[in-house]
Amino acid sequence: MARVLNAVHSPLGLAAALAMLAVATGPALAADAKKGADSFDENCSECHSVASTLRSKKGPSLYGVVGRNAASIEGFSYSDAIKQRPIVWSRENLDAYIAAPKKFVPGGKMKFDGVADTAERADLIEFLEHPN
Amino acid sequence: MQQIFQPQRTLGRLLMLVLLSAASSTASALPSFARQTGEDCAACHVGGIGPQLTPHGTKFKIGGYTDGDNAEKFWVPMSGQAITTSTHTSKDQPGGAAPGYKANDNTIFQEGSVFLAGRFAPHVGGFVQGTYSGVDHAWSWDNVDLRAALPLQLGGGETTFGVSLNNSPSTQDPFNTLPSWSFPYVSSDLTPGYLGEPLLAGGLGQLSTGLTGYAYINEWVYAEAGAYRDLPGDFLSSVGVPREDRVNLDGAAPYWRLHVGHEFKHQYASLGLFGLDASIQPDPGAGAKDQYRDIGIDGTYQFIGTHRNIFSVNARYIREKQDLNATVAEGGAERNNATLTEYNFSASYYYLNTYGFTVGAFGTGGDTDQTLYAAADIEGSRTGKPDTQGTIWQIDYTPWGKEASWMAPWANLRLALQYTAYSQFNGASSDYDGAGRDASDNNTLMAFAWLAF
Repeated sequence: MARVLNAVHSPLGLAAALAMLAVATGPALAADAKKGADSFDENCSECHSVASTLRSKKGPSLYGVVGRNAASIEGFSYSDAIKQRPIVWSRENLDAYIAAPKKFVPGGKMKFDGVADTAERADLIEFLEHPN
Repeated sequence: MQQIFQPQRTLGRLLMLVLLSAASSTASALPSFARQTGEDCAACHVGGIGPQLTPHGTKFKIGGYTDGDNAEKFWVPMSGQAITTSTHTSKDQPGGAAPGYKANDNTIFQEGSVFLAGRFAPHVGGFVQGTYSGVDHAWSWDNVDLRAALPLQLGGGETTFGVSLNNSPSTQDPFNTLPSWSFPYVSSDLTPGYLGEPLLAGGLGQLSTGLTGYAYINEWVYAEAGAYRDLPGDFLSSVGVPREDRVNLDGAAPYWRLHVGHEFKHQYASLGLFGLDASIQPDPGAGAKDQYRDIGIDGTYQFIGTHRNIFSVNARYIREKQDLNATVAEGGAERNNATLTEYNFSASYYYLNTYGFTVGAFGTGGDTDQTLYAAADIEGSRTGKPDTQGTIWQIDYTPWGKEASWMAPWANLRLALQYTAYSQFNGASSDYDGAGRDASDNNTLMAFAWLAF
């Protein structure tokens, strides 16, 4: 432990430690749920809700969507295209879907061109995972 | 601004007393639409209640009111609304603000409406409004807009093709600037009405039927064309409109609209043109005709951002060229050729889609005609000019209409205070009617409550 602390105390060691930390945690460290909330309101809130009541609007409820099976909200009228995709909404799949919805699910119902900015998508997914 | 509608023999006189379209043609954020889509009123309407549309609401209308297949199990496409007003004018209106009402300070149930509104079948929807006037104590039909719309993938983008069957030019318009849908959205029915409005600003409202076709291309270009025909007196009578109000259109009256607008990263901007060309025979037996050629330009800017706080600017200008050969022959006007112009501007800011402030400016102007715009107490013109200008200031509170609102999506409410100030009324600032009344005597303070359910 003392050796590690000594390493961190040197400028070179500090830079190396920060770099290792960044690699270890990935982009999630930079994701900001508060910014994600703004992005959600800008891009998603007309058609989707994150209320814990699992309320669906034009689009299905996004409460608890991270880690959920696609097309699994009971009573929601999904497109055949998404019903035929046995996917789980992992962060990676959500990121790909939000980047280009029509490319990720051809024939899907969602009329949205997507969020091009990688950091904004990360913020948005962070918010979807922690909406409250 | 009171809406005045009295039977007149000639259209020239009819137009003198034309309906100011906004007040009794209010179609709000209908809760039946919210129940159909599962969305909150604020998704489609600026300020949490109608009729000012967000780009999302514009697309819902262009799509034929058919979006949303996750409605409540027993969803019924019906809604209602009720509006009460309390009106004070700077100076009393001798004889009463309307038959049976005091000269000033009237608090009334102004109107109640029922709507059949929503999706009726795949790709087919609309709204049909019937309104009870608390001033006239009578029911009549109000706005009707029945649509069929079909989105198609063309050239790498989506184009929505549609048709609308409606009963007033501009009622079918999906933007926020044309006469049917511009500020103010509620006006008092117990204030003096001013002279001279272009035909497109209400003269054919509920007196005609129009069939128009439109295309909305890649969420950029909206193009529409169609025509309006008159309606038989028997039919008008059956829907609560006095048969003597009938307008005799000589054939079809072409209507057209071209609009270019787009949402740029949560801001929306647009510019448009529109027009109506109508030939009218005030007396079908006489053969003479009046011709009205309206052309207008409109523009919009909206800052939408997170949808919580929205800033909007809407503007339009209409120029009408009149050839009043028939009205002149009947002694209802002096000039065969005349021009009438009208403008409407408003800017609003809504905080949290709940607290709103709007300022508006409006005006009409035209050529002098001492017969068409004759002197008369309160609603006449000493100068023979139809010129009116004023500003409107409104603050309002819309507590519901959001996702987590009480009673959502079953009810919506707006409480408002509105002040209208006239700098000119019927051609003059002072003694405009020849009986000593000034334009500012018609300045109006109105409070209203507007409930939709």
